[in-house]
Amino acid sequence: MFERAKIPDGDRLRREAKVAGLRDFRTPSLEAVERRRLRLWLLTTIVLVVVAAGVMVVIRPSGSSSGMLSEPLLRLAIFVLALAFCVYALEKEFRLGRATRLLTDERVLTAALTNRLHEASLLLDAGRAMNSVLELPELLQTVLRSACELLDANGGSVMLVEGDELVTLCVRGRQEAVGARLRLGEGVAGHVALRREPVLIEGHVDSNEFPGLADRPPYVESAMSLPLVHRDEAVGVLNVNAAAGRAFTEYDLRAVAVFAEQAASAVANARLYEAERAHVAELIELRHDRVGEAG
Amino acid sequence: MSPLKPRVLIVEDDPDLLVVLRVNLTAMGVEPILAGDGRTAISRIQAERPDAVVLDVMLPGIDGWSVLEDLHAMGDPVPVVVCSAKKDVEDMERARELGASGYVIKPFDIDRLVDAVMGAVGRSRGVQPGLAVELGLEGPELA
Repeated sequence: MFERAKIPDGDRLRREAKVAGLRDFRTPSLEAVERRRLRLWLLTTIVLVVVAAGVMVVIRPSGSSSGMLSEPLLRLAIFVLALAFCVYALEKEFRLGRATRLLTDERVLTAALTNRLHEASLLLDAGRAMNSVLELPELLQTVLRSACELLDANGGSVMLVEGDELVTLCVRGRQEAVGARLRLGEGVAGHVALRREPVLIEGHVDSNEFPGLADRPPYVESAMSLPLVHRDEAVGVLNVNAAAGRAFTEYDLRAVAVFAEQAASAVANARLYEAERAHVAELIELRHDRVGEAG
Repeated sequence: MSPLKPRVLIVEDDPDLLVVLRVNLTAMGVEPILAGDGRTAISRIQAERPDAVVLDVMLPGIDGWSVLEDLHAMGDPVPVVVCSAKKDVEDMERARELGASGYVIKPFDIDRLVDAVMGAVGRSRGVQPGLAVELGLEGPELA
């Protein structure tokens, strides 16, 4: 039972291709299989035309047939030849069909791997960009830009938790939203920060589902709101709006969730750095005051 | 070469899962065919008429729900085993309404998924699940 599973797919593919008549088969190619299929059916057509011509010659008015073979024997021979060729063509077609299926499977696997690599590469780039910045405003710009690039989005915002409120600190698109405040639990972002669960928005948002939602334009057709959670604590919310004609899916939500985890850590580090810097500045000022007093 | 060999389409965007499912189904005597997105899934279902489909709902582009809706709208009788990370009853109900023959929650036990697929293959061929082994839809004879 397990014998077959042990044969690598590349070997199976090469074997099928060789039996199907692709002798120089080294690099898998659907185009080569299609060319072989075209040649096979061209040959089949020619053989059948020749057979039909042969049959017409054989069944000419009696008396005109001559040679070593009798007419019934000749008919039988042509029939057997035609049948044998049809069996050959069908067998080759069967093998070509299997080679096509295996090649398509290989393409699917390659595409899946390429997509995964692309995603990983984008996440790596975004992570690298975020880790190279320590200043909070610059970091938030980087987070938002990377998220938009990752999702092919046209706008969004980053909101950070301050006390029991969310403050909009960085915006792409509607700049007047900078500085806007929202209580935790209010609207979509407040709901996301409180529940720490991402939300995928498709079409009009129901204000009953998200109490406190401000019903004002511009309305978005598709958007995502993700919590930025660091060490089990919500530090903010990342909102991303889809470009016109693009609809986010749960697949996008899953992809960007990994990014949001990295962003949350970067935000927490930047805040820590900001607090440390403020503390150092305070100490330096205190030292200056003391030196001044002593002088 | 056996005409009885069941063919199962695996629709999944995760390359690791694609390989794991392919190896396990091949070991069960099934001929697996693959699709990494909804569009490829629809075209391969129409072109290759598989006996059953293992369908991940979270796919790039056209998602699994859209594939299921399309199959339902076309009246395609191919049995579909839906794989989803969601445990919501609403999702299971939605899958059932759209004609899915099974619903497996991720992360899944591979043996359970294979059992669900073999059951779907048996139904597709008009065989009761209990008779599948006797009629050669499972086991080494098709490997």
